[in-house]
Amino acid sequence: MPRQADTAYTEFLSDLGATFRPQRQWVEGRGLYLIIGHFFSSVGAGTWLFSLWLDSRLGMWMAIAAVGLSGLAHLRFLGRPSRFWMMFRLRTSWIARGFVGMNIFLPAACLYVLFPTGPLGWVWFILSIVGMTFLIVYKGNVYAASKGVPFWNSPVLPILYATYAIRGGIALLLVALPFTGASVAAEQIGIIELWVAVSAAVMLGFYLGVMRQTNLAARRSVVELTRGRAAGAFYLGTVCVGLLVPIALGVVGVGNPLSHVGLALVGLFSLAGDFFAKYTIAKAGIYAPLMPAGTI
Amino acid sequence: MVIDLKRCVGCYGCQTSCKAEHGTPPGVLFARVLKRELGTFPNTRMVFLPVLCSHCDDAPCVDVCPTGASHYREAGIVDIDKDTCVGCRACMQACPYAARYYNDEQRGYYGGQGLTPYEEARYAEQNCDVVMKCNFCIDRVNEGLEPACVVNCAARARTFGDLEDPTSVVSRLIRQRGGQQLQPEAGTNPSVYYLPPE
Repeated sequence: MPRQADTAYTEFLSDLGATFRPQRQWVEGRGLYLIIGHFFSSVGAGTWLFSLWLDSRLGMWMAIAAVGLSGLAHLRFLGRPSRFWMMFRLRTSWIARGFVGMNIFLPAACLYVLFPTGPLGWVWFILSIVGMTFLIVYKGNVYAASKGVPFWNSPVLPILYATYAIRGGIALLLVALPFTGASVAAEQIGIIELWVAVSAAVMLGFYLGVMRQTNLAARRSVVELTRGRAAGAFYLGTVCVGLLVPIALGVVGVGNPLSHVGLALVGLFSLAGDFFAKYTIAKAGIYAPLMPAGTI
Repeated sequence: MVIDLKRCVGCYGCQTSCKAEHGTPPGVLFARVLKRELGTFPNTRMVFLPVLCSHCDDAPCVDVCPTGASHYREAGIVDIDKDTCVGCRACMQACPYAARYYNDEQRGYYGGQGLTPYEEARYAEQNCDVVMKCNFCIDRVNEGLEPACVVNCAARARTFGDLEDPTSVVSRLIRQRGGQQLQPEAGTNPSVYYLPPE
């Protein structure tokens, strides 16, 4: 047995014996590709929304590229990627809805960017909005449908993830500012970014507050996030880099407008925070315990 | 299925017989026994909880499956079609009983020696990179036999039968002994009931 597999198996056996069994499938090993996929799909969908609003063609292409990368990351995550085309069980599965959303978005968005004013321009526009909406909404619901992980099984999570998707979209446009120049209303985006960053911070605080009151496993997950195995990434990535720094820079920018490079930095920090928010929330997931705590 | 916690002695017979029946690799335990030592010395006691897929009436694993690989079969048995599973593992996160396992590689029991002929033969029946779980030994049930964990339980702690039939032994045991489902708050209406240990 290879050494790495041996370690993973020992860890698995240890997990099975633990009262609070951590979920590892969606965050460790190949599971990291799922987090990357979720990150890119939410950033891509958010970028599409703001690119349409601000009429930024570069932003539109970046949105398409981000969603395309998300699709590749999702395929890399799947155990059997060659069967991806079977994911059409829309009636109850949010994963299938996300997959369909991605398949609507990618061709419709490409066609809209290429032929925005043609006779079918409105059709591509509406289809891309439909696909984008699916992409913004599905991720949080995929987690919220996970009854085995009480920390995720909350209606607050889809709202938090949608907030982060919108924020990721603005952030990617800010990163592109040095390349788009004055064609995009930089100050306007900066203020929106500040507002959404504050909203994300409030939503995150609200979510953790709700989860602390929910049940034993959810409380334990909050402990994992704030004091346990996800704490380092949470404080450094999600809170400091992802929220405090962008909010501080945003507040400074209200009085003294930041340069495009400064705003791009805000966007970069925000994107990092978006990734770490998804990573740490996944990492803090704990399966509902079947037995009371005790020694083994 | 009804599991009598008063009779269970934690011998792991169910776990071992399940492995023999299904030929599962290391890291895949369709039936397993959880044990805990509760209390502090000298007032301690050991408790055992045999767990397996609960074959829920309202199975969240079936709902979240994007391909329909997780599905209901006859008599309410929840099964996985190994040829349709895409390996997204959403069902593992949805299961409140942690009863599903991801078979990520054909790992043998004897590290460094490769697979034994027995392992090669048994693993050939399975797919890698898909999710696996207990199916109440549906092949045995279809032949009129009981699941392997039931017939091999030395303490006769397990009883298999028709929950829909109010005159069946399982229905009677649940009524008379106050059978309880695991985590009823999950709202999945599991088909596995536990009779209290005391």
